[in-house]
Amino acid sequence: MDIGFSPEETRFREECRAWLHANVPAEKRPLNADEALDFDKAWQRRLFDAGWAGINWPEDYGGRGLSIVEQVIWLEEYAKAHAPWIGSNFVGVNHGGPTLIINASEEQKAYHLPRILKGEAIWCQGFSEPGAGSDLAGIKTRGRIEGDELVVNGSKIWTSFAHVADWQELVLRTEDGSQRHKGLSWAICDMHAPGITIRPIQKMSGQVEFAEVFYDDVRIPLANVVGGLGNGWKVAMSTLSFERGTGFIADQVKQSQEIAELIATARGSGMIGDDRIADSLAQMRAEVAALRAMTYRNISEVVRTGQPGPEASVIRLFTSELGQRLERMAVLLMGDAAIDFAYGDDNAVGDYLRGFAATIAGGTAQIQRDIIGERLLGLPKSR
Amino acid sequence: MDLTPNDEQLALQTATADWCRDNMPLEAARSRRAGLWQDLEAMGWSAMTAPGMDLDHATEALVFAELGRFLAPMGLISTAAANRWFAGSFEGKAGLALPVTGSDAMRILDPVEAGTAVMWSAQSVALYAAPDDQPHRPTIDLSTLQGRQPSTSPVAVSNAPTSPLHLQLLSAAYAVGCADAARDMAADYARLREQFDRPIGWFQALKHICSDMAVRAAVARSQLYYAACALDAKDGEAAFHVAAAKRLADQAAIDNGRANIQVHGGIGMTDEAAPHLCLKRAHLLQFIAPADAALLLEDAA
Ligand SMILES: Cc1cc2nc3c(=O)[nH]c(=O)nc-3n(C[C@H](O)[C@H](O)[C@H](O)COP(=O)(O)OP(=O)(O)OC[C@H]3O[C@@H](n4cnc5c(N)ncnc54)[C@H](O)[C@@H]3O)c2cc1C
Repeated sequence: MDIGFSPEETRFREECRAWLHANVPAEKRPLNADEALDFDKAWQRRLFDAGWAGINWPEDYGGRGLSIVEQVIWLEEYAKAHAPWIGSNFVGVNHGGPTLIINASEEQKAYHLPRILKGEAIWCQGFSEPGAGSDLAGIKTRGRIEGDELVVNGSKIWTSFAHVADWQELVLRTEDGSQRHKGLSWAICDMHAPGITIRPIQKMSGQVEFAEVFYDDVRIPLANVVGGLGNGWKVAMSTLSFERGTGFIADQVKQSQEIAELIATARGSGMIGDDRIADSLAQMRAEVAALRAMTYRNISEVVRTGQPGPEASVIRLFTSELGQRLERMAVLLMGDAAIDFAYGDDNAVGDYLRGFAATIAGGTAQIQRDIIGERLLGLPKSR
Repeated sequence: MDLTPNDEQLALQTATADWCRDNMPLEAARSRRAGLWQDLEAMGWSAMTAPGMDLDHATEALVFAELGRFLAPMGLISTAAANRWFAGSFEGKAGLALPVTGSDAMRILDPVEAGTAVMWSAQSVALYAAPDDQPHRPTIDLSTLQGRQPSTSPVAVSNAPTSPLHLQLLSAAYAVGCADAARDMAADYARLREQFDRPIGWFQALKHICSDMAVRAAVARSQLYYAACALDAKDGEAAFHVAAAKRLADQAAIDNGRANIQVHGGIGMTDEAAPHLCLKRAHLLQFIAPADAALLLEDAA
């Protein structure tokens, strides 16, 4: 075991650092999804042109074909350089694209993957429904087969970036009378198709980043089904494994910056003199270090065996709850200035309020604990 | 960068666990058999990083986590430190010396058949004469006896910056093993014990207690690996990483020890059952080379 990087990896790291230093935009990313759209697209295009998009994607589809270690190095340097959040490109780059790489046809890949990497196509994820949240197999949105098309009726909810997206990962029921995990399909839905209505939803932090989506006889070519009709559950699980897995590699860097800033703030204000605050800062600093160690262990496992160990679910749960404790501490350290929070403020209170998503979106903390208990410890399935 | 054990290390890890299961079962920790110490020495575990051994901290930490999982004698930690730092002036077994608050006596943990004892401080490790001629008294940890003697001057001191980190790392490894043992005991019981016509592990209230044990153990073990590698690499932040490892490992050991008793219900509170052995070991370990919170707040090197 060792924590050092090879000379080639170190050289790669220096390249990342130099490029980021010269290219990270000086202005902040706007907060609302629609305002941020142009910003996100332009930034993604710049990344692509310079060869930083899709570092571990296959070269045939515009990627660099490098390993996950280079991907980690890039993400570490990216976070250290305070480069902007990936924003509207999150779904396409972090799980839509990777799902296509594994499950899609050559035509589907050739069309969509380069567009995702170039920031030309924004994706959203249509999994959750009013009646199907944690229990995703309760999906009711229907796709009736008519000729070479699916005719879709139903609704999705909590769809992040729906109102700026061009395409959607849509999981829907394509077999009449099918139950639960059976009879579902994963389709690429054109968000500009007739029959789609989007109702944006405001969050308690003030941002409008997700929406309810209604489908009224929306026509999707059967050629847009990914992984075959009726195989939607399997494809959706691979999407979730990307969403819950590699999406969190950079958290350790972000959280290590956050804890360093919190310690500096607490020193500056003298609040560090409160033993409880000092102790919980010390605790979180140790935990952030352990998060990096866990992430490295997980990456090493991928390099060694080709897939992340079952402990990926532990990282996901741990980083989400640690992040929330950091956000809560940041609000505590603001003192009574927290009272002045108003919608539109981009400060610690806003981060804290948005941060509730970490233990809800992409599978709640309770569902993660079920997964850990069942897959890691072999306890009987509760559901 | 690679934070997974290589094939050789995995083999050593498995061999250690197998040996422990056959020769030093956890359930027998309340009173260890005669001759165990000699067996442990013969296996080489008390001198893995002694001069000339050429083994790294990472391998030693992996093995000590396995030993800790079976609540191996505390004297292995101090003897490993003595063999490493006092080679030449030391042989045999060293107990683990701790100051007694409010008195100038010192406790010698695991004094049986020892002639010396090692005391840890944040700056150094020191070797004391500690002949095994004092009456033995119990400690909270049923597997560990103690002797008492007046404080004396050390016969040797190692001020090498790595020496306190080495002992702290080994005690963190013990705590990681202890946390693992409690987690596995709880999960085994949760699969087996039935109430309301199903295994209690089916109930989320219990399942999630077990999941949290798994999280704590994974967090502590990961940081242990990183800390061991940082020490091997003579990383400028090694002291921070070892302290972080010790803090997280102590917490995992105590919290998992407590949770394990809850998972067992009534039987968990009995002397006869094993869960209290882990909890009590965890309480002892937190006094060995404890992590300094101030160090965890210091600016990165
Ligand atoms: C910010 C944000 C962005 C999101 N973006 C998207 C998106 O882009 N696309 C998309 O498809 N979805 C998205 N989601 C939806 C998200 O995946 C769901 O909110 C999540 O899966 C939980 O479903 P639910 O909201 O219906 O809550 P419910 O499933 O109703 O859960 C309510 C509570 O009950 C608990 N619970 C439910 N079932 C169990 C059980 N079996 N055992 C124990 N506890 C249980 C939950 O843990 C939770 O605490 C987003 C959510 C948020 C907050």
